[in-house]
Amino acid sequence: MTAYRVSGRGRVDHDRPVRFTFNGKTFEGRKGDTLASALLANGVHLVGRSFKYHRPRGILSAGSEEPNALVGVSRGDGRAEPNTRATVLEIFDGLNTASQNHWPSLKRDVGAINDALYMLFSAGFYYKTFMWPKSFWNKVYEPFIRGAAGLGKSPSVPDPDTYASRYAHCDVLVVGSGPAGLAAATEAARSGASVMLVDEQAELGGSLLGEPGADINGRPISDWLEETKAALAAQENVTVLTRTTAIGYYHDNFLGLCQRLTDHLEKLPEGAPRERMWRVRARQVVLAQGAIERPLVFDGNDRPGVMLSGSARTFLNRYGVKAGNRAAVVTAHDSAWLAAFDLAEAGVKVAAIVDVRSNASDHLLKRAKALDIEVLSGWTVTGTGGRLRISSIRANPVSGSGKVGPARKIACDTLLMCGGWTPSVHLFSHTKGKLDWNEERQMFLPGAPTEETRCAGAGNGAFGLLEAMTEGASAGAGAATDAGFEAKASTYQVDGEVPCAGVGVKELPTDRSSSRARAFVDFQNDVTAKDIRLAVREGFLSIEHIKRYTTTGMATDQGKTSNMNGLAIASDAVKRPSPAVGLTTFRPPYTPTTFGAFAGYNRGDLFEVTRRTAIDSWAEENGAVFEPVSLWRRAWYFPRPGEDMHQAVARECKATRESLGMFDASTLGKIEIVGPDAAEFMNRMYTNAWTKLAPGRLRYGLLLGEDGFIRDDGVIGRLTADRFHVTTTTGGAARVLAMMEDYLQTEWPELKVWLTSTTEQWAVIALNGPNARKLIEPLVEGIDLSNEAFPHMSVAEGTICGVPTRLFRVSFTGELGFEVNVPARYGRSVWQALNEAGQKWGITPYGTQTMHVLRAEKGYIIVGQDTDGTLTPDDAGLAWAIGKTKPDFVGKRSLTRPDIIDPNRKQLVGLVTRDPKVVLEEGAQIVANPGQPTPMKMIGHVTSSYWSETLGRSIALAVVEGGRAREGQTVHVPMPDRTHAAAIAGMVFFDPDGKRLNA
Amino acid sequence: MLLIRCPYCAAERPEVEFVYAGEAHIARPSDPSALTDEQWKNHLFIRTNPRGAHFERWRHLHGCGRFFNAVRDTVTDKFAMTYRAGLPRPTASEIKEARP
Amino acid sequence: MLQEHRHLEGRRIATQGPGVLRVERIEDCARFSLRVADGNIALASKAFGCDLPRTIGATSDSGARLALCLGPDEWQLLAPLDGRDAIEAKFAALYPKMPHSLVDVSHREVGIVVEGTGATLALRSACPLDLRDMAVATVTRTVFDKAQIILFREGENRFRIEVWQSFADHVWGILQAAGREIELGI
Repeated sequence: MTAYRVSGRGRVDHDRPVRFTFNGKTFEGRKGDTLASALLANGVHLVGRSFKYHRPRGILSAGSEEPNALVGVSRGDGRAEPNTRATVLEIFDGLNTASQNHWPSLKRDVGAINDALYMLFSAGFYYKTFMWPKSFWNKVYEPFIRGAAGLGKSPSVPDPDTYASRYAHCDVLVVGSGPAGLAAATEAARSGASVMLVDEQAELGGSLLGEPGADINGRPISDWLEETKAALAAQENVTVLTRTTAIGYYHDNFLGLCQRLTDHLEKLPEGAPRERMWRVRARQVVLAQGAIERPLVFDGNDRPGVMLSGSARTFLNRYGVKAGNRAAVVTAHDSAWLAAFDLAEAGVKVAAIVDVRSNASDHLLKRAKALDIEVLSGWTVTGTGGRLRISSIRANPVSGSGKVGPARKIACDTLLMCGGWTPSVHLFSHTKGKLDWNEERQMFLPGAPTEETRCAGAGNGAFGLLEAMTEGASAGAGAATDAGFEAKASTYQVDGEVPCAGVGVKELPTDRSSSRARAFVDFQNDVTAKDIRLAVREGFLSIEHIKRYTTTGMATDQGKTSNMNGLAIASDAVKRPSPAVGLTTFRPPYTPTTFGAFAGYNRGDLFEVTRRTAIDSWAEENGAVFEPVSLWRRAWYFPRPGEDMHQAVARECKATRESLGMFDASTLGKIEIVGPDAAEFMNRMYTNAWTKLAPGRLRYGLLLGEDGFIRDDGVIGRLTADRFHVTTTTGGAARVLAMMEDYLQTEWPELKVWLTSTTEQWAVIALNGPNARKLIEPLVEGIDLSNEAFPHMSVAEGTICGVPTRLFRVSFTGELGFEVNVPARYGRSVWQALNEAGQKWGITPYGTQTMHVLRAEKGYIIVGQDTDGTLTPDDAGLAWAIGKTKPDFVGKRSLTRPDIIDPNRKQLVGLVTRDPKVVLEEGAQIVANPGQPTPMKMIGHVTSSYWSETLGRSIALAVVEGGRAREGQTVHVPMPDRTHAAAIAGMVFFDPDGKRLNA
Repeated sequence: MLLIRCPYCAAERPEVEFVYAGEAHIARPSDPSALTDEQWKNHLFIRTNPRGAHFERWRHLHGCGRFFNAVRDTVTDKFAMTYRAGLPRPTASEIKEARP
Repeated sequence: MLQEHRHLEGRRIATQGPGVLRVERIEDCARFSLRVADGNIALASKAFGCDLPRTIGATSDSGARLALCLGPDEWQLLAPLDGRDAIEAKFAALYPKMPHSLVDVSHREVGIVVEGTGATLALRSACPLDLRDMAVATVTRTVFDKAQIILFREGENRFRIEVWQSFADHVWGILQAAGREIELGI
């Protein structure tokens, strides 16, 4: 038992010691402790250094609002997390924690020099200090800023944990399980509505867990709590989630809840996810988030040992831990008196209660007297003593006129402070719900909601226990009623509750120069009252500007403890009332949330859908290297042992040109267009003319947007008069189908034609090379494959290897080519059969890289590589694909706009480097004259560039201003090593007459 | 995540099943070649971008597949109503009545 | 005929405890996407041998034939494999009288059954629908994480997923993770 543990007190299990380490030293706590309560039980207040000034910092609060006590947690195997709040971290045997933001040690930190230089780091110091001399930027300022930036150490290895997600729907979602939340959930559950009750803490109860004294319905609070919990658990229509933070409230009552599943466990269950993100759609929501206590702002209010009064009370009553042995209290609110009384009754010497108000209530004075506590009403605190822990306070009387009298030193080892309570309206604010300023109570309260939501309890300003429960019951019943259930709010009886009141204050008055006071407003970002006043003097009047200039409220705690103090001081400085200065916006997440929780299942293999073709498994077994193409993974090349990519591609190209190559083209988008108006629809969508295309024939189709720019292309087969087999680019498949559906449904609903995606119905095997026909001739039945009966650009149905096929005679290589479409589940078997039968011609599987090279040698474009959404058919040299006599098609009107017919537009051309060995970089810029001063005029760029094994030299495609008219001219391509000269040429590098194609 | 009522499915469905498809009630001219460059530019690129009620197209892509129209408030993001493609633009009083 | 390679074949997700969760690939069947105008539904029903439901989300069956209404003019027709050619021929014969689109998508999709008292929970891992609202014998197209699926509720605790082949692994992977959570009771 340590000196600070109160035996038998609180909800921790005093019979279950838990051993953990902090900064390498082993400590003992109790099961049920947080790291904060366990450290306090061991007399440890100093737990970290502050962000900017490296000031020693302690534990300010007992909850998720904690700005100071951030620690690093590590449990081995790569499991490490920085910036965990000690106040929410549940301890277990073997927990390993460390403080942050100091070097070489927590007690002796070199960075604390910043604290002595604090005048340099005032509001906006980023914008002032590092301005001059300019030469200091690279060598001095930037390294300094980088060194100082960031809080905690990020993990150095990938997170080994998995994360889960789940959707849920309910009638009533209750956020927060304090008195209001429990009352609301009880009421809604009783009505039969499906209820979800969530709380960020390990057990239900909220403020009730730290509340002694009062009785609810004639039962002590702890008994009432157990009964209520049991009743909720017994109901099938109730889901209770603890350790679950409602992080965000989105449109139409959609909330994100982050549930921590294993962080509190000593042993991790094999395969269990660490956290789960719930995505909940609730018919009705009750927000019972409670309230957050405000610190007071005075010199030295950040010294370890200075703590919020309600938190000290929680540590005592919930965890059985005294924050110190000799406490002082400074307050503007009655509730701190209750904390003082509880501590005094637990044996803590309370040296004094300093109340900034001069008129304390009789009942409080009476109790203080009975407990032998000195009361200083109408006093202020003007400083604190001690280095790594508070040892005294400096208290002064304040006269009625506001004059601060002489100081008195009061010894203490802890100081409880209370500046009143702020309703936690974060989630309500996420919904853009308006906050109304209550002048009398000096606080913002939820106003008219924008969603189906109700606020209840302290989060709605109902701070009293009875008041909160009454409001909670009413909200729960109202929510259930609005969700379609019958409910009526129960009434509660509360005995022994002490009413509390307080006043709003800015900085406490002081007899010293306020410009030298280190009176903190935002503990996590080290923002003082002086910084806020300076920002106002420098002309920042809006709270949004003050926030960004001073960074108050911008730390990971989102200003939970600082926003209202910042506002009060800003409002005083600009001499406008608080509501006119306004409040900054709260945004999700409510508390820091792991990336893993957001990602859920989407990591590793499930990071994104990886689409694989029917032939993919063969490619993998045969050593393919893959590349991602939209969501697909495609075989990129098939290296043989010892080959690099260049050698493999050269071999694949050569084999295909000389004999036979095979390629998995299954990813091409496919759309079946069927109906009496199919041809008319094609006429309207594509640039080409379709009416006269005979069944059994193929045509290259070009699709534009209405702006006249190329969107997609592909080979299209007419199977019968009313049935087209359209192919699209791999990446364009979904987009093209959506575009077609759009026109069909909304512009031409009168057309009798229907569209069906068949991309995955068919596996497609492209066979290219002089021996392609010889390969399939013996395997195909029902189709005459002769050049006369089945010329280039034909399609027919038959069988191959006994499997039904739609056989295309088409080529994307310039060689004799076929595309074998077979039902997908046969894809791999047909591929293997063709591969075996093709061995006698040395059939060579090739990947996308060889496909790219072969098509570039023929000047065939790839939409999305050689086009970028700004190329017209003419720009791409595809004017021939436009049906000249068609009255209209998508994009036609734009082709006559003046800017589109400008002869100096960028046009696609071929590039031949002067040095045939130089392969230009794709994306490299092109200039006409390399000698011009920089910045040079760029007249185009390289879109495709390869080594052509067939031609024994490099080839490239490029877009160049007025390119076709420049044919033969030399241009220059600056690359990192040197500038290369190249001649503009036509786009077809190989077999310009197409003899091989038609063989 | 919004809930969107699909007028074809007659059901409220989660936003992830839908895609946005631009402003509604902009019909493609029956004969674009009859338009001046200025008129064509206006048709292609000029949109109302209002603060408040906005007529827009959505598609229940991962549902029934239909395009439909909606009135949505650009300030609050909330849908006032949805209706089938081809129906006329609802009047102010119809929108007001439909708003939940 | 050559061997077919079936996605997910032989794989199975099963949790301990009878009837908690079973996820398996469904035997292949003939699948068609049928598009036909309102006035021709009766004719089409006759051709398929099963009344086509007229409400989006409704299903009907006759013998082993199953019609799922996915859109105002769209049905997914499921039938035993050996009925494939006959169905195609029947519809083809009707085409002059009844313009429509019947497209064979038998190989486009994989069927997955998700069955057990934990079926709904497993689906809720990535399906945003309120499954409490989904009646038995109804169907809908929706999403499962990043994949589009057809979800057919065959029974209170039995669902059928139809998903494009190349998305099946992704759907399976998430169901597997969800199954593990159910197994662990976490």
